[in-house]
Amino acid sequence: MNSRFVVYLLGWLLLMEAGFVCVPLLTAALFGESIKPYVMTIMIAVIAGAVLVQFFRPSDRHIRPREGFLVVGGAWIAVSLLGALPYILTPGALGAVDAFFESVSGFTTTGSTVIGDTTVLPRSLLLWRAMSQWLGGMGIILFTIAILPLLGIGGMQLFKAEVPGPVADKVQPRLANTARSLWGIYVALTALEWLCLRVAGLDTFEALCHSFTTLATGGFSTRNASVGEFGSAAVEWIVIVFMLAAGINFVLHYRVLVGRGKEVLRDAELRYFLGVVLGFTVYFVLTVHHAGDRIIDTVRISAFQTVSLLTTTGYATTDVELWSGAAQLAVIVLLILGGMSGSTGGGIKSLRTLLAVRSLRATVHRLIHPHAVRPVKYAGVVVEDSVLSGIWAFLTAYFLIAIIGAAVVALAGYDVLTAISASLTAIGNVGPGLGEVGSYDNFVHFPGFVKITLAVCMLFGRLEIFTLLAWFSPEFWRR
Amino acid sequence: MKVIVVGGGLVGSTLAERIASDGHDVVLVEQSRALVSELNDRFDVQVVCGNGATVPVLEEAGIATCDMLLATTDSDEVNMVVALVGSEIFRVPKVITRLRHSGHEVGFRRIVGDNAQRVAINPEHAAVEKILSLMPVPGAVDVVPFFEGQLVIAGFLVRPKSEFNGLLLSHLRLLFPGNPVLVVAMRRDGEWRVPHGEDEIRAGDLVYFAVDPVELDNVMALLGHRHGKERRVMIAGATRIGIQLAHRLEDQKVPVTLVEPGRAEAESAAAELESTTVIHGSPTDRELLGEEGADAVDGFVACTDNHEENVVACLLARKLGAAHTFALVDNPALASLIADLGIDAVISPRLLSVGVALHFARTGNVKRVAALLDDAVEAFEAVVPGTSRLVQSPLAQLGLPRGILVAAVQRGDRIIVPGGADRIQPGERVLIVTTAAMTSRIDDILER
Repeated sequence: MNSRFVVYLLGWLLLMEAGFVCVPLLTAALFGESIKPYVMTIMIAVIAGAVLVQFFRPSDRHIRPREGFLVVGGAWIAVSLLGALPYILTPGALGAVDAFFESVSGFTTTGSTVIGDTTVLPRSLLLWRAMSQWLGGMGIILFTIAILPLLGIGGMQLFKAEVPGPVADKVQPRLANTARSLWGIYVALTALEWLCLRVAGLDTFEALCHSFTTLATGGFSTRNASVGEFGSAAVEWIVIVFMLAAGINFVLHYRVLVGRGKEVLRDAELRYFLGVVLGFTVYFVLTVHHAGDRIIDTVRISAFQTVSLLTTTGYATTDVELWSGAAQLAVIVLLILGGMSGSTGGGIKSLRTLLAVRSLRATVHRLIHPHAVRPVKYAGVVVEDSVLSGIWAFLTAYFLIAIIGAAVVALAGYDVLTAISASLTAIGNVGPGLGEVGSYDNFVHFPGFVKITLAVCMLFGRLEIFTLLAWFSPEFWRR
Repeated sequence: MKVIVVGGGLVGSTLAERIASDGHDVVLVEQSRALVSELNDRFDVQVVCGNGATVPVLEEAGIATCDMLLATTDSDEVNMVVALVGSEIFRVPKVITRLRHSGHEVGFRRIVGDNAQRVAINPEHAAVEKILSLMPVPGAVDVVPFFEGQLVIAGFLVRPKSEFNGLLLSHLRLLFPGNPVLVVAMRRDGEWRVPHGEDEIRAGDLVYFAVDPVELDNVMALLGHRHGKERRVMIAGATRIGIQLAHRLEDQKVPVTLVEPGRAEAESAAAELESTTVIHGSPTDRELLGEEGADAVDGFVACTDNHEENVVACLLARKLGAAHTFALVDNPALASLIADLGIDAVISPRLLSVGVALHFARTGNVKRVAALLDDAVEAFEAVVPGTSRLVQSPLAQLGLPRGILVAAVQRGDRIIVPGGADRIQPGERVLIVTTAAMTSRIDDILER
């Protein structure tokens, strides 16, 4: 194991994060808020980063899969720990465990919060909270690859560990250019949403915070009642459109940009994803519409919850706990499904669902025709058995971890609905759940060990299980 | 006309023989010395021994003065070189080449350009088209469209239970007063003839009808042929023909089951095809065919590369209850042996390519040629020029020899069956059926 290089890279990541903390620092200065928490955070980050970079300068810059898993997992933990400092250092804000939970929930783009009242927090801290989601959305490693040339060929190992998916798509021959293209689209879409929200009447600060957390499919809001508090249909439709865009594979956005829009329309995963959006929206309209409501409002509210949960954003415009049992069951299903592969969304991802269903169909086919040769195909190409078994292993691990998470919540004395939905929302990086953690509840009432468990679930979900799961294998640590 | 045929295999020798019997001078180029002497003995053609893809050999065969060049060896690459040498170096007026891979065909087209006198024939494609045209007509041994599909010639074996048994041909008009239905050729006791009104249909006859497509189902019903229980097709053999056929049937939304004995072949077929059920197993495994429902299929097509196995698979499927079986058989001896065994249709890609090549080889007014089973009878579609004997008097007074039948005329946009008192007008298109012995007289009758 090339641990020197791993530590060295983590040092660079901390230095980079110090650069990002400058943004809330400037904001605090602008709004006349205390700049002390950010100055201290930056100092700690710079000192720690400089020490690591100086004393762990590696002779060998080779990254094997093992180092890849270690760097990526370690990076997310280190970045989250450092990102928790501003919450702790802001007077009267959060304790250490709560700050860690909030920070992990941010970087993993989950959006579960322990903050009961956002109005008492300084604006600079709210911006840092939104920014942590934005940085985590497209991936901090991908960002590093895009701007730092220090990774060389090994970058692909990191790319695969951070954006695992069933298949890794390079849109350009060079990885750094791929990362730059994806980040470029991400930045452009964020700017576009900011403009739309400004036009719809939000102020610069809130439009920026919400653009950050929409494109990251994060879900932190500056308001206690989330996006619903604006009471504006226009804002809600804008957010729906951009949540959808964030839930779509960024490779498809890239293809549209380079004029290959036609093949995008034929993309099976996209069709499936949009089909799910349409299906659940119609289902909610049918189950929650009351006589006397305007149908257009019901459609908007249904579409908003569907897209918000499916893309794992987690904004709310209504309290789904007031919905019928049939509708709440659909909410739980949405917590699991997730966005498209290659999007900023979490969950099990539509490509895995699609391939798992096709694999099931092929299995049934082989039962009926024992001698049949029936491969699973995607986009006209046979899907390798190794990819399929990877998907089944992923699903098994995903639900095992979700069950363990739910068990921990239940052990703390919570009801089954709270336990299951809290665990699923954490591993799926969604945000809200049902029961005690519904749309307008928060996670502050959980004991510390539950918060840590859920934070670990979030990291598992964001890194799509295997990167962290490798850590639990004894072989991983063997020389 | 002077014609060079390169390749003395089944296709080349058959073509050489047929073109020679049309009255043209044929030079056959063949590399195998053993085959050369055999060809010399059997056919009235000149045989040149050598590699037909080389310029000296072609020059020896007289390519500088030849009017038509046919490349019919078993190798696509050789055929391609022969055709390109003939086309691009010697500017032979008409070049026909046999290319099995469609990819080669694309390259050939790019080089020679859009030229109607440069023809690539794909025997596998022809076989697929033939099977597809036969499929909607259970019981037919052959179906050939004429006049852009306004009339088809379809051959059926008359079974003892058939309603046609004992029918006088002249009474067919009474059975089908509205649309053209007539018998253009029949085989009884191994002998072919072009019939006339006083002949009657008997059980065991192989009868070729020229019918309006709308009457096909009625003719089939009277013959006692039926469709299968399910509109489903089983194909044995993931050969290029099998896969092409499955593709086309998928396009027509017909459910297809493909049985292939090779594991790797089955896997690549499954990767390529969409809705087809691909089964890994032997097409002669009775248990397997039963398991996969061969008893209920409408069509069973055996197109493995082993043609004897194709026959066995078809007989097995037939026994299980498949409504309609097709076997791919190139060997004419094997084909003639199994004609009466109950396999509905025997498809020979090689002989089909002979038919297509002849169609292009014949010049002038003849538009479309079909060799009916055993090549003993041919059907022509031709435009009648003003100078032809046919337009001079009513048909009955022309004194056409026995064995030549003017079966149909396209008059306006209708197809009519001409009677003895009818007269053909100049410029009309006719369908003429002849025995092979009379083929060489066709040009006389049409041209002068």
